[in-house]
Amino acid sequence: MAAPRRLFYRSETRFLLLGLPGVMFVVFFLLFPIVSVIVFSFWRTESYEIYADWNLDNYRTVLFEGTYLTFLWRSIVTAVVVTAACLVYAWPVAYFIAKYGGRYRLLLVLALAAPFFTGAVLRLSALQAIMGPIGVINMALGMFGLPAVEFLMFNKFASGIGIAYLYLPFMVTAIYLSLLNFNFQLLNVAKVNGARPWRAFLTVTWPLNWIGTAIGITLVFIPCLAESLTPTFLGGPSGKLYGSVLGLQFDQTGTWALGSAMGVLLFAVCCVVIAVMWWTIDLRRTGFTGAGR
Amino acid sequence: MARRVDRWLTPVALGTMLGLLYVFLFAPVIYLVYTSFARDTTWPFPWNPNVKAYLNLINLRAYQEALWNSLGIGLWTALISMALSAMGSIAVLKYRHRWRGWFSIVLISPMFVAELLIGISTLIFNRKVLGLPGNVGSAVIANAVHGMSFGFLIMLAQLVRYDWRLDDAAMVFGANPWRTFWHVTAPNIWPAMLGAFVITFLLAFNNLEISFYNLGAVPTLPSLAWGSLRYGLEAELFALAALVNGVVFLAFVVIYVLMRLGIVRFGYRGI
Repeated sequence: MAAPRRLFYRSETRFLLLGLPGVMFVVFFLLFPIVSVIVFSFWRTESYEIYADWNLDNYRTVLFEGTYLTFLWRSIVTAVVVTAACLVYAWPVAYFIAKYGGRYRLLLVLALAAPFFTGAVLRLSALQAIMGPIGVINMALGMFGLPAVEFLMFNKFASGIGIAYLYLPFMVTAIYLSLLNFNFQLLNVAKVNGARPWRAFLTVTWPLNWIGTAIGITLVFIPCLAESLTPTFLGGPSGKLYGSVLGLQFDQTGTWALGSAMGVLLFAVCCVVIAVMWWTIDLRRTGFTGAGR
Repeated sequence: MARRVDRWLTPVALGTMLGLLYVFLFAPVIYLVYTSFARDTTWPFPWNPNVKAYLNLINLRAYQEALWNSLGIGLWTALISMALSAMGSIAVLKYRHRWRGWFSIVLISPMFVAELLIGISTLIFNRKVLGLPGNVGSAVIANAVHGMSFGFLIMLAQLVRYDWRLDDAAMVFGANPWRTFWHVTAPNIWPAMLGAFVITFLLAFNNLEISFYNLGAVPTLPSLAWGSLRYGLEAELFALAALVNGVVFLAFVVIYVLMRLGIVRFGYRGI
């Protein structure tokens, strides 16, 4: 009786008891599925059934039959542009909430999450109804005899706005969470030592909050890369992205093995992005000074 | 003089940016609520408000079923995610174990896997490897993997400043770990746990890309919307979304009032 009790009180045991369930959960329900996708990508599908003959045909199709790589390249470009735009807009907003939000900070951040209570399908169709050719914006312009704004209709730009619409809150939240642990008094120190506001930002605030920013960049970039929903509403005929094509393999055409290979490729690109972001992070400069205590 | 202008100009400019962001984020939602009172969803102008769509909802079984399924997925996912992320974040922050770095990386990793990939990989794993049919359970698990990482990040960010010596103090005075958690840790960290719960609920409640591949024929609100897209969205769908938003808005008002009255305070601020 005494021995197991003592074991329970040891901090090592308690660490494992608390941490292992989550880790096992990830291993079972994320790692195993991803491994099975990698395995399936080397198999073959025929009339909705999957057969275990090992081959590289799926990769040959994805990499050398033109269209798939075109979609992937288009997705990458879209993701880079949208992420950059989100970054530029999210920083000032997150900074404002963290510095001037006072005790309503959490409410302000939750308000950013509130639109998520409406499904992406409905919100995007509403966005389409606002920006499209017979949408609110263009009809209102027409009423005043102004020409319609064509760049908001069924093209890559409209698609980009839609994707930014979906993921901008993630970027703001990530940067905000980082700023929450940032000691703003450091800026006063910089000021006292003669730094102008911009210089203080570039040498103190930005590097010390880089980890949150990097998480935000990754959090926006990856779903952008895999985006399949938005182009359906806003992208028009030439706006189809890699994610939509990938989804089709599992939905309509039933070519699971090819879809798996596309998934592995997508996963590989994501891993490269994560590796690059990880490489830029210096854990010793996380911005946590311990001064909040 | 310039200094003084600077002092209010910066917050005003940044605040305006936040305001514009709210307008951008909420415009489609407001449009949706507006349209739910119109009969014609493709061109709802001029506005002749009626509540027909809301009355129709009472008789539409498919919509009610979808709502319950979505709520179920959201709540179960949020519960599992919150429990696992709370346990994980306490383990990583409280105990200086040599594996804590690795545990953190594993727990946070699902966040960086695209939803689409989680969806198709769990579909493949469940269907072809385990031979399970798609149902609400597998959708909950797939969503919970994703949600847990968000919960973990939220809890980490809020609990970095928690002083674990409080727990040690309780233990010194003879409380067992369970009692310590309920009487000391939980009362201090509940805002962080609530935040994790709300966010993971949100992500799962309206998730299309993870759930879609795991659900088989089970309808949820997002899959219903996705399915009816090719026939044009019905006003009833808008009405249901508007109702959900109404409830959420009310919740926000209640939270705001409670905060004004000083009954609740969110965010762990240190002691």
